[in-house]
Amino acid sequence: MRFHLPSALRRWAGGNEIVEMSLPLDVRMTVSEAILMLGRDYPAIRQRVLDDQNEIRRHVNVFVDGENVRYTQGGVTPVSNDTEIWIYPALSGGCGCRFDDGRMTIDQKSH
Amino acid sequence: MEHTESITPQAGDLLVIVGTVKGVFIFSTNRERTRFKVAGPWLKGQSIYSIAYLADRRTPRILVGNFSMHWGAVVSWSEDFGATWIEPGDGNVKFPQGSGLSLNAIWALETAPLVGPDVLFAGTDPAALYRSDDRGETFRPVESLLQHHERPYWLPGFGGLCLHTILPHPRDPQCIYVGISAAGTYRTNDGGETWTRRNKGVKMEGGPPHAPHFGPQCAHKMRYDAKNPARIYLQNHPGVYRSDDGGDSWIDIGNGLPSVFGFPIVAHPSQGDTAYLIPLESDQFRVPIDGAVKVWRTRDAGESWAPLGEGLPQRDAWFSVLRDAFTADGLDPAGLYFGTRGGQLFSSADEGESWRSIADWLPAVLCVKAVEVR
Repeated sequence: MRFHLPSALRRWAGGNEIVEMSLPLDVRMTVSEAILMLGRDYPAIRQRVLDDQNEIRRHVNVFVDGENVRYTQGGVTPVSNDTEIWIYPALSGGCGCRFDDGRMTIDQKSH
Repeated sequence: MEHTESITPQAGDLLVIVGTVKGVFIFSTNRERTRFKVAGPWLKGQSIYSIAYLADRRTPRILVGNFSMHWGAVVSWSEDFGATWIEPGDGNVKFPQGSGLSLNAIWALETAPLVGPDVLFAGTDPAALYRSDDRGETFRPVESLLQHHERPYWLPGFGGLCLHTILPHPRDPQCIYVGISAAGTYRTNDGGETWTRRNKGVKMEGGPPHAPHFGPQCAHKMRYDAKNPARIYLQNHPGVYRSDDGGDSWIDIGNGLPSVFGFPIVAHPSQGDTAYLIPLESDQFRVPIDGAVKVWRTRDAGESWAPLGEGLPQRDAWFSVLRDAFTADGLDPAGLYFGTRGGQLFSSADEGESWRSIADWLPAVLCVKAVEVR
């Protein structure tokens, strides 16, 4: 399994763009579980990709073999030893807004 | 103004630490407060929601609650006046697994020297109080407030459901007030074991009148009176109030103000009965009234108010001032500082009588803290 990290997260993984993790061939897990496993070696990656309840953060996109899991099975998208996982900051993250159940909320101490 | 790569203050110098939507800046000056140097930004691209200063004589520590829209929020710190920052890899403010809650931002950081020299409290969105006993490196939730039976009735304001104000009592280590939007004021008298709602007398907006002390109570900022900690000033969403009995009841002190809507309130650091606020036009139009910036001061605990505006823009100023973006230093005469969402930073070295701009082109200012280096 290979994790492709965005530049903003590489400092938390020794400067590496790609981090590999080996699983037994017959083991399958969810992508959230895989990120948690990655977090054993790189807790700062887990912290920045998953929230306190181990959900993928709202403004982080995770692609499993080219598919954005937000549009497939989310954090329970299955992965295996030959899976490629890409992590990207979402373009929405720069807007100063967040979306809760379709309702836009202004962040940054907005008043 | 002179830009410097690093701040190397001498004892007695003053630092004005400014948290913006794109990083933290530090302005330094001496006691005269006439010339400032600026350094930063640090933690570039991150929003700085909160600032604290632990004034250990050997290694004073600046702490901030920094927030990345993508990667979440942590408490970071610097022990060399901003030159380097420790940004913890793993999160140091987290909601418990199974709580269903996840940290959005750290709205408040507050030292509590009477509770302990290394103690720091953090207030968060979603609304919760966290305590650190190791100078802000690790935090644990104050469970009694996290599990408070009234929590289901707390409602998020425009900026979320946040605990934005923490007031450790200056004489009683068992007593702490917190302000939550929108739930109002809560107080503990037993070191955080139990919390009681303290909203009596505060007008509620956005809810039925028969339940005036519950639900959408939107405290914006509270401050202790300098001389009498039983006296607390409150800038509420729809009103300005004072309590003379430690929050048990509140009286309206908005008479004489051109608007009772605003966010920050600042108590004079040493003179009792004296407080400052910056009225905005209304809830629906959050700008200085008629585009003219005025700081209003009371010297009789809110019985009367008078405007101060010399040196502030008196036309075409359409910015807002957020709840943590207005502060005082501890010098004599007191200095006052406020930052705006338009990126200006204003200062007064004469208790608000006259003002001048220190900086005009900062990112939107979220919080300002003035500290004297000892």
